[in-house]
Order: sequence, then C-alpha cells, then structure tokens
Amino acid sequence: MSQTVTLTIDGRQVQAEAGTTLLEAARSVNIQIPHLCSNEELAPYGACRMCMVEIRHGQRTRMVASCIYEVEEGLEVQTATERVLNVRRLVIELMLARNPTHPTLLQMAADLGIEKTRFEVEVKGCILCGLCVRTCREVVGVSAIGFEGRGTTRRIATPFNEAPPDCIACGACSAVCPVDVIPLKEKDGIRTIWKTDYPMQRCESCGRLIAPVKQLEYFAKITNQPLSHFTEHCVHCR
Amino acid sequence: MEAVNVYSARILEKQEYFKPGHRACQGCAEALAVRLVAKALGKNVIVASATGCMEIISSPLPFTNWDVPWIHVAFENTAAVLSGAESAYKALARKGRIKDRGTVFLGMGGDGATTDIGLQALSGAFERGHSFVYVCYDNEAYMNTGIQRSSSTPFGASTTTSPAGKKVPGQITWKKNMAEIAVAHNVPYVATACSSYPFDLMEKVQKAARTPGPAYIHVLSVCPTGWRIPPSKSIWIGRLAVETGIFPLFEVVDGRYRITVDVPELRPVEEYLKPQGRFRHLTPEITAVIQERVNYEYRKLVAKTQFKF
Repeated sequence: MSQTVTLTIDGRQVQAEAGTTLLEAARSVNIQIPHLCSNEELAPYGACRMCMVEIRHGQRTRMVASCIYEVEEGLEVQTATERVLNVRRLVIELMLARNPTHPTLLQMAADLGIEKTRFEVEVKGCILCGLCVRTCREVVGVSAIGFEGRGTTRRIATPFNEAPPDCIACGACSAVCPVDVIPLKEKDGIRTIWKTDYPMQRCESCGRLIAPVKQLEYFAKITNQPLSHFTEHCVHCR
Repeated sequence: MEAVNVYSARILEKQEYFKPGHRACQGCAEALAVRLVAKALGKNVIVASATGCMEIISSPLPFTNWDVPWIHVAFENTAAVLSGAESAYKALARKGRIKDRGTVFLGMGGDGATTDIGLQALSGAFERGHSFVYVCYDNEAYMNTGIQRSSSTPFGASTTTSPAGKKVPGQITWKKNMAEIAVAHNVPYVATACSSYPFDLMEKVQKAARTPGPAYIHVLSVCPTGWRIPPSKSIWIGRLAVETGIFPLFEVVDGRYRITVDVPELRPVEEYLKPQGRFRHLTPEITAVIQERVNYEYRKLVAKTQFKF
C-alpha cells in the first residue's frame, strides 16, 4: 500500500502518491505546467527547466524543477508566480536562440508573451533535452547515440560521428524528439537515419515492409526466437 | 510516428481519458478510435457527443467512461452546442471570470450524426469559424439502431434498409464524401484517419487541436457487427480499406492536400470487399464498377496533392 501525501498547488489541496513528482500531481488536477523533456516511460531527468515552480519552506521560497522534485506532505507550490514566469521566459528565449522556428517552442513562447529571443540566434535545432538519448537507452535498450562535448559545444552524436554500430534503425529517437531535428526517411525499402541506410525486411507471406532488418535481428536476439519468427508473417497477415 | 510503431506505443503518455469497461461490441474499432482521440487530446478538453453508439456504450446510467467533461446532445445539434460552449468559454475568459487555459472543444458523432442529421449545424459552425475539433466516427450505417443505411454507406453494401436482393445490390448510391464537404467550407484543417493507423490518427488529432479555427477529422471505424466480419478482423479490414484506396488517409491544411499514409501500389478492392458479409452478394461486374470508381477517386486525390499554388 503506497502512502498518500497532501500538498497545496496554486492554493488547491492535492492528494498524491508518495514518490511521484510535482509535475504529475499538478497534472492530476489539470494544472498545466509546460515541459519538454519529461516522459513517463523514462527516468526523471530535469534538462529543459521549463517546468520550474516555486516551493515554500516556512518563510523561504525556492525554485525547483517540478519534473524531478518529489511530492512532500504539506508542501506549498506556486506554478505561475512572476518569479516562475520570469525563469520560464528566460529558458524559452535561450531555447529559441538555438531553434527559432519550431512551432512547439514558438507556441510555448507565445503562451509566455514572447515573440522572439533577445539573444543572438545560432541555429542548431537541437535543444539538448536528451529525450532521444534516454529513449535509446531506456526504452529500446541499445544506447546507439549519446551526448558529445561539454558546455557550448555539447551535442547529440553517434560514436566518432560515424555510422552508429548499435543502431537498429527503430526511429524511436526521431519520434520522441520534441523539436523534430532527427530526420528519418523511408524510400524504396531503405530507411535512412543518422545518415546511414538500413534495408527494410519484407514480409515473406504478403510482401509488405515490416521493419528494418537490424531491428528484427535485435528482436530475435532479445526474445531468443529464430529470425524467421519475425519475417514469416507481418502484423498484417498474421 | 507510424513508422516506428513498436516503440512509439511506449513513448506515448500512459494516462487514458476514455476509461475501460464500456459496453461496445467485441472488436469495435470505433471505441478504439474514441480512446485514441481522447488520449491524444489529454485532460484539458470539453467533449460534446451526439447520440449514437459511442454515447450509448460509454454512459449507461449511473456509470460513465469519460474522465473529462462530456455533454451528451441530440443527433442534430452537436456542432451547435459545441459552438455555444466555445463562445461562452471565450466570453467568460475575456471578462476575466475564468482563466483561459487553452481548453480544446471536441465534437464527436457517428456518420449519421455528421453526414445526415447534424450536417446543417456542423456546416454553420464551420462557417462561423469557431475554434473546435469535430471528429466523425464513420462506421458507414446507423449501427446503434440496427444497421440502417446512411448517406455514408458505400455503394453495394447490404443493410437492413438497403437489403440486397434479386433486383437491387444493396445500397445504390455512392458514399457521401464528407471530408471534401469540409474542405469546401475552407476549414483550416481537414483530415481522414483510421484506427488501424493509431499514431497517424493521434498526430492528426493533435494537429487539429493546435489549429486555430475549426478542424474536421473523418475517422473510418470498422464495425464488426454491421459489416458482418469476425471481431478479430476489424483492424485488418481497416488497413485493407486504406491499402485498396477505398479510404485513403490524407490531410488538407489550408487547402493543401497531402497523403499521409502512402500506398505505393493499390491492392484490388476485391480483397477488401470479399471478407465482409455486407458485400457478400456482389457480382464480379459490380466489383469492377466499384474498382473503377475507386481508381478514379484516388487519381483525383493524387492530382489534388500535386496541384501547384
């Protein structure tokens, strides 16, 4: 039996399970906190800092990222004070300096009353939320991509900037990216991701494309089944 | 998202807003579509639902499957109620009585409530330009009352009010192209979707919710009971409808067409018609007529996607 704690978010009493985060507790009562790098399937990470909220301990208040801060008994949380909004405005402007065109970011900025960034724009596209790296490691389980460099030169990369040897071309990194900077192309039975071509497997019964060959080989390995188990029938003709 | 369907199911949010335990038939692809739409829109939504299967199965007194505000309205006025709710919300927000949290207004109805009875209210709401999403769950007949034909029933389908006999091969008119009717209203976002392509459907719903102004999504919802197929085949039939070109998946953003699920080579329509009991009586001649019509419609759609502005 899990323990329930009671806390106050924006003046509302909220019951939440111990061990869950402030972000989840707020969402359960329909208090929207903007966030980019959080996903229930992945361990909390706290990279984007869009979900900053103000918490009160006695007389003092301080800022925490709600996606990594666990609920506490009697905690007082404010999600939309001027201090919170100021931090969010700064964060979104910094992100817009890296990616000034993506609709998701522009919408978040517009919600905070910002049209364009005050910083010098240096288009990199990626906002370094780390969702792709963490998905590859925690959901897919292959760790084909990772962070490279430190500070201003930090970026997402494949090992030695070559074709990633562990990549199974599943495309989960591309799907999870909030700003769509990982291109995935599929044409004539060839999937291109991370600048590498991966042939797709055709179903042996009906001829439809199933998935990249490397992905099916990976499935065969982790499930201890022969490869034919995945290629004889596809999801359509099973 | 559709391309990586093995993992995208895990990346998605876990929370469901259309709860399990509803009373739909086995294999109901419409209930699946409703669940996916509700999941795509999240908690910040107000739903107006026309009378029909989805109202009956989700709200048997004293229970409900809905975890979001949900209004049940009559057959003909879903869009009217929705536009009223949206206007009231906007007015209250403007006067500072409530906080504008960007709530999405979702209207839903079956093909009867959309293409027949509710068309006038929907047309008016499109024309006035309210900001809402209208989703039509098209199971191609009035399934809830016992499979009566609607204007969305395809040519040749046998229903209880268009029975196939010696003289008449079931429904004798072609299916009303509701998506094109919505496009003709100059609606900013129109799309067709199918619950056999869940991630494509969810992406379209999210896109529609982001669009300011009205958005219309036409969802083909396979009905095993009315189409006379085994419940285990409903997803398969939905996929065949797309692969044969009978129900192509496309979206229209500000008049620009784009086919979202590309089918390099159309399969013969026979593959789609044969497994279904409602088309059991069709002769090869009638199948050829349907094939010709499908090819014509598909070519027309492809031509529209290639139109240069």
